[in-house]
Amino acid sequence: MNRKILFFILPVFLTFFLTACFDSKEVDEKAYVVALGFDKGENNFLKMTLQIAIPSKIASGEGGGEPGAGTAITTVETPTLYAGLNMINTYISKEIDLSHCKVVVFSKELAQEGIHKYIHAMVRGREFRGSMYVAVALESAEEYIQNVTPTLEANPAKYFEMNFNSYQYTGFTGDTKLTNFYLLEECSCRQAYATLVGVNKYEKSHEFDNNNSTYKERGRDRPLEGDFYAGQIPKVYDIKAEVMGIAAFDGGKMVGQFDGQDALYHSMLYGTYQSSHISVPDPKQPENFILLDVKQSRKPSHHVEMVNNAPVNSAEIKLEADILSIQSGINYESKENIPILEKTAEDFLEKGILKFLEKTRPMHADLCGFGRDLKMKYLLWEDWGKVQWLKKYAQSKFNVKVELKIRRPGLMVKTAPAKSSEGDVMD
Amino acid sequence: MRNFLKSLLLFKEPNKAEKFILKENKQDTETKTGAKDDSHGESKNSETFLNKILGSKQDDKKKEETPEESKQESKIDKKLSKNLAYMKKVYSIPVNGDIILREFDIMVKDRAIPAFILFYDGMTDREIINNYILTPLMLLSNLDIKDDPKSIIHYIKNHLLPQNQLKEARKYVDVIDEINFGGCGIFIDGLDRAFAADVKGWEHRGVERPNSEQVLRGPQEGFTEVIRINTALVRKILKDENLIVEDIIVGKRSKTPCSMLYIKDITNKSLVEEMRRRLKNIKVDYMIDSGELEQLLEESSFSLIPQLMATERPDIVAAHIADGKIGVVVHGSPFVLLAPVTLADLLQSPEDAYVRLPYAHLLRFIRFLGILLSLLLPGLFIAITNFHQEMIPTDLVFAIEASREQVPFPSLIELLLMEVMFELIREAGIRIPGPIGPTLGIIGALILGQAAVEASIVSPILIIIVAVTGIGSFAVPNFALGLSFRVLRFGYIFLGAMAGFLGITAGLFIQGILFVNSKSFGVPITVPTGPKTSASASSNKLIRLPIWKQERRADYLNTINENKQPKVSRKWINYNQNEGKDENEK
Repeated sequence: MNRKILFFILPVFLTFFLTACFDSKEVDEKAYVVALGFDKGENNFLKMTLQIAIPSKIASGEGGGEPGAGTAITTVETPTLYAGLNMINTYISKEIDLSHCKVVVFSKELAQEGIHKYIHAMVRGREFRGSMYVAVALESAEEYIQNVTPTLEANPAKYFEMNFNSYQYTGFTGDTKLTNFYLLEECSCRQAYATLVGVNKYEKSHEFDNNNSTYKERGRDRPLEGDFYAGQIPKVYDIKAEVMGIAAFDGGKMVGQFDGQDALYHSMLYGTYQSSHISVPDPKQPENFILLDVKQSRKPSHHVEMVNNAPVNSAEIKLEADILSIQSGINYESKENIPILEKTAEDFLEKGILKFLEKTRPMHADLCGFGRDLKMKYLLWEDWGKVQWLKKYAQSKFNVKVELKIRRPGLMVKTAPAKSSEGDVMD
Repeated sequence: MRNFLKSLLLFKEPNKAEKFILKENKQDTETKTGAKDDSHGESKNSETFLNKILGSKQDDKKKEETPEESKQESKIDKKLSKNLAYMKKVYSIPVNGDIILREFDIMVKDRAIPAFILFYDGMTDREIINNYILTPLMLLSNLDIKDDPKSIIHYIKNHLLPQNQLKEARKYVDVIDEINFGGCGIFIDGLDRAFAADVKGWEHRGVERPNSEQVLRGPQEGFTEVIRINTALVRKILKDENLIVEDIIVGKRSKTPCSMLYIKDITNKSLVEEMRRRLKNIKVDYMIDSGELEQLLEESSFSLIPQLMATERPDIVAAHIADGKIGVVVHGSPFVLLAPVTLADLLQSPEDAYVRLPYAHLLRFIRFLGILLSLLLPGLFIAITNFHQEMIPTDLVFAIEASREQVPFPSLIELLLMEVMFELIREAGIRIPGPIGPTLGIIGALILGQAAVEASIVSPILIIIVAVTGIGSFAVPNFALGLSFRVLRFGYIFLGAMAGFLGITAGLFIQGILFVNSKSFGVPITVPTGPKTSASASSNKLIRLPIWKQERRADYLNTINENKQPKVSRKWINYNQNEGKDENEK
């Protein structure tokens, strides 16, 4: 019996003496980083910005509103990521812990030079969570992080989680989690993309202008909701930080940027699109809009064929929509008119998507994963390697077919004219 | 005045009070001096001394044994005066206050025969002794008896003592045993035997609700302290003449009556034999409660899991006996032991069987969750907050950090502090006198909970952890198993603090080994899963089968009759087609 007790007690004591809680750290002995920013250094490789949560302020609800109330921000110039952490630990009292970091932001300048070395360090590092978002700041990452002053939540970590998740109901950004980014970056048939972030410049609403909008490129006379990059949305007050659009990468280097509308098309093509409101010009009265609540009914199908050693990429997108508003008051809900509406919406989307794909071609950025379909047709890895898909993508031709079905007219079955003294008025 | 001052200031010799010293026994002093001599190293003397010790010991033994043996052997004498003297000596009359010795004469055929009765006051029923022993012997013996009595014994036994339980004894020891257990000894001049009548009538607690195992649905009776009431409670449920109540007396001095309960044609014979062997071979002076018997019967005293199940509920005992187990009832204990027992048995509540299937599973899963929480939650909390912070949702990690900011202790100390406090409240709560009970709740809730948090001695999240753990630990249906988990919980706290999840995993591994290794009366504790037994082994699984599907008894019990019910137990289902008969009956 004594031997049995010894057998029980020995391992317990062994764990105590061998491990002796050497890496045990209390929660309050650590400083949790919420966001990590990388800019090109002035005199060194990197300028690293850390947004560190102040839990006592967050828990008591003081975090929101005032800029930087729930967080502390520090910027340090450093040769590498971990060197920077070491330097920061010399003046931050608690040990820096990156396990709750929600977002890593690279400046556009740095991203164009290539960020794969930092991404690799993060994927290898135990502390970085794979669900952290990768973002590119159009100007400076430091400036973006400084301007994250959430008002709706006391906790900045929650702000990042919610804000970067908004692609699920706007479609204006994408799922750019670290694991996703890394997989796409390493993939021989697709290219990586990151969320675009920026800081708004407007101070007063009369300063609004459309100089930075992309509506002219699209041939519109005024911008639609997605025709902006992050930081250029005409808006004032509240928080200055914004997310809108995606950045395309080739081999870990940023090669181009797309606005919100393009990001929406991208997510439709890529399959991450869930639902959003889309404004479509009225086919009969172009000055009016028809608003649709669009959902993806099936995952998009891709089809690639090699014609004369050049790929022909076809995509089929299946959508469903509910009518949210018909501004012209024309009775598009009726059985006869619904196909007209569907056709208009399909044409509108097809045109936009084709334009988006044309833009990706010179960037060598197969963001939508056409290569996956082609890869499946090769039996041997060597054969697929010989195709050199990412190079060949620049010679692509595109066919896109959008199939949109309008299912429900909303709560209003038929638009009834508003009554006025001068007879019926359409709104 | 002067005297008073004098008495105040001057030294006064203290009054000589007689002091009491409990002196060592002769035997003890001898061995002590022996040890002393030995240490002096007188090797020459040691041999003789050893002999001396041995000799003296042997002498002692002989001295001790002689009265014992004479008591065992000596037979009842024909002369009443001799018997009277013997009994007076045995019962230390008149030193003993509660033994009553009543001398009287029996009139038979105009002949007065001297006699005496002997009984303990308080353990016997006065009315019965007066009306059914003394009255017939003293008064009714005068009645005209038609047939001529052949012998006085025959006459007295058959005509004068209207008792349903009357024993005839030739040895003193038989009568003495009866008297000690509330009987009445009757000695009559000229007879070389005595009678012992059963007139038990001591005060005892009635049948009440079981204190520790209450259910909403099911019988509300609990065992009490009297062995015969307890056996009757079981027999009341199992109206089966094959239910054997085998009496075995344990304890040389306490002579505690115990009963082994089993069903003759179900329970495995070797199991019955083993229980009988263990019970008969317990040599102790006193045995008061079944808790002591449990410790004397179990194989491993250091095992953390109970190897016999103690229950207050007759329905549980009946169910297990009907399944092929053995119950042991101990006089003076409202807890009846059951063996062999498995972990699954210990995790079951009687309600599991009485409540309909879907509800039973809800109750059961909630209970398992509670048990797991009570065992692992504090350990997991320590492990996660000290080693695996990335696992906590970000909002919660900030909340924990904020609440811990002011706390001066490491979380391990903090947790141990609260756990010890909680154990203290629980232990004190059992002993606290009834009327003060609610005060303890107030102290526990207000002072420990609120004030400790406000004083930043512990963090509020920790209070939640300890509270959930405490609530979970009350979900364990078996008291002994609950205790074992309470002990293990501290182990997991330390393991979690030492090595995080690695430590907890190691702990679970070791606990698993220990559990799988322990046996109860030859049955592995983890039986339906540990060694996998037949799937049809009815009700002892984690997921209960519907009652009509519990056709076989537990496989591990190797019962004589394995089937509990026919394949179709609800005959009404296809009554018309089969005319109410199924294969088994055909």
